[in-house]
Amino acid sequence: MTQAEPLLQVQDLQVDVGERRVLESVSLDVQSGELVVLMGANGSGKSTLGLTLAGHPRYRVGAGQVRFDGRDLLALNPEERARAGLFVSFQAPPEIPGVKNSLFIRTALNTVRDARGEPPLDAFDFLGDARSAAARLGLPEAMLGRPVNDGFSGGERKRNELLQLALLRPRLALLDEIDSGLDADGVHAVIRLVQELRAAGTAFVIISHYLQLIEMLAPDAVLRLDQGRIAEMGGLALARDVARSGASRAGEPATEGAAAAPARPAPPKTGAAAVRPRIV
Amino acid sequence: MKSADAIAARERLAITGWIPARSEAFRHLPPPPAPIWLGDDPELAAPGADALPVDGAGWTLHPLGISAPGQVDAIWLDAGDATEREALFAGQPLPGDGDGEAAPFAWAHRAICRDGLRLRIGTAGPGRDPSAPVWLHVRHRPRSAVEAPLLSIELLPGAHCVLVEAHTRTAMDGPDSTAGGPPIVQNLQTHIRLGEGATLRHLRIVAPAAGDRIAHRLQVGIGRRANYHQALVASGSRYHLQRHRVELQGEEAACHMAGVLVAAGSVIEQQALVSHEAPRTSSDVETLALAGGKALAVVNARTRIAPGCDDASVRQRLSGVPTGGQPRLVLRPHLEIHHDTVQAVHGATWGALPEDALFYARQRGLDERSARGLIVEGMANAMLERCLGEPTLLEALHDDGTLRIDAFVSRVAPSPPGAADGSGHD
Repeated sequence: MTQAEPLLQVQDLQVDVGERRVLESVSLDVQSGELVVLMGANGSGKSTLGLTLAGHPRYRVGAGQVRFDGRDLLALNPEERARAGLFVSFQAPPEIPGVKNSLFIRTALNTVRDARGEPPLDAFDFLGDARSAAARLGLPEAMLGRPVNDGFSGGERKRNELLQLALLRPRLALLDEIDSGLDADGVHAVIRLVQELRAAGTAFVIISHYLQLIEMLAPDAVLRLDQGRIAEMGGLALARDVARSGASRAGEPATEGAAAAPARPAPPKTGAAAVRPRIV
Repeated sequence: MKSADAIAARERLAITGWIPARSEAFRHLPPPPAPIWLGDDPELAAPGADALPVDGAGWTLHPLGISAPGQVDAIWLDAGDATEREALFAGQPLPGDGDGEAAPFAWAHRAICRDGLRLRIGTAGPGRDPSAPVWLHVRHRPRSAVEAPLLSIELLPGAHCVLVEAHTRTAMDGPDSTAGGPPIVQNLQTHIRLGEGATLRHLRIVAPAAGDRIAHRLQVGIGRRANYHQALVASGSRYHLQRHRVELQGEEAACHMAGVLVAAGSVIEQQALVSHEAPRTSSDVETLALAGGKALAVVNARTRIAPGCDDASVRQRLSGVPTGGQPRLVLRPHLEIHHDTVQAVHGATWGALPEDALFYARQRGLDERSARGLIVEGMANAMLERCLGEPTLLEALHDDGTLRIDAFVSRVAPSPPGAADGSGHD
């Protein structure tokens, strides 16, 4: 990867699910340590973008390119993408009956550590780290000993996603409605964790409809996705506008934001985004 | 010296004949012929001679967890001695109609049975509390290349027992393993009786060597308000039959039978036969069969509800997962209902690993093979825990190496779809 190349570079991505085209053409760049918020109405393609980047087999890429950390992301299988440092949190994390949460997370963590050339954590060291992270996130320690997400409430599942995020420390995390189901303490835990990881260089793409969370996250850019395209980009003003007037504004031409939007493409700098929407 | 009873059993078998090839119960996996089970096959013993001795201790008892002392009466009985033989078979009917198409196995067992173990659990006496839970670990190691051991277990009314029964002849990384040695032929018969209000949580681990031919038959009688939970973990071999016949005899009697069957290029059959004979009885049979290579795994679940069994409840869930190669998986759920006011659910599924969980694990960095293995191991664990209701038991057995579900499942580590076919259903 060259110095100027973004961590994530999506170009003209077109995605079909079954017979339906969900993403028409999406382009965006995200630099290390940046935070981009993705907004949009239900069905606009937000989750599709996340699951496509994660390599879900049901999401078929029709056209476009995605580079991640200098590699062709679309040529990698899901586990290779994860090992390369891409973390995608699920809107509805599934349960895995009979598999203890601590075993699952430790297996995942050691796989990723191996890919990074780091030694594996033994059960004792892992439990120490996991207990400490769980306490910070307000996840009861007992959840480590229970099967993955089995019988967890919606909020507990989201906290369990955050626990994995905290331990895996990826290069880029795409969090899909991580705030849904979380109480106020949980939302604050999200913000603290995102700030901590961001300071260490993790980039974020966060899908959310929750203005208060978005404001607290202080994103570098806000994008509005509509009918499979990035319709608008901007800053917090766009988020406020979307929250006020709704995410679906049919017929409105794609513009570069309701508020002060960065130049395209923009170098990463404080308060500005390196997001590069392709307006078609 | 052979007893008159043994000689009579042999003659009876000669008259009635072995299980016919057209037998409905055994049609998918016909058992080896009678001479194999009687030790008359030249491969196993010289003509007129006993089968080769094997360096095993037979039945042994071991501590397990914390158990109140003195609530178990254990008696080892020699079937060669007329008095002890009588005690060994006391209360057990002669092979007959109740054994169905498996009656020849029962005659063959009676013909060569040499010894057995009788356990009475929950016995009263000075300083004994019959309702205190008893934890027991019973191991069996073959003493002969052809054998017919017997195990008889009686739970007195109100007794509660956790019993681990291990027959392990392949590497399990644990103390039960007796890897190596010549192949054996084993025709095991087990009788279990639960008195009123008794509970038995019975974990059976059966891992024969590849060349072994194994037939285990259990007959369980469950009294009023008694509960029997059996979790079976078994692997395939040259021939492996697990036939379990459970009779819910008393009102509100209940049983839950869970089986994890693993066959990698070998064969295994489970026959779970449950008979509801009283009102408000309930049964739950669930099996997860994992098969790879050229394996054959057969699961027959048959539940009968007799007339008059008001509010009986029946559940059968059979799952088969082909894990690579060209295995055959035959799942046969059957219900026979002779009463109106009952609840019954049954079903069978093949190859269904939850795709969302699989992708989730891969998104966290696990390769597909590891993810599939972990999910299947989880399915097995969850099934066993559901049945036994003792999560600490499985954990303790894992830690001491007695039962490593992960090692067990890894014998047929599942591969991505498309690598297997040949499932069957009728």
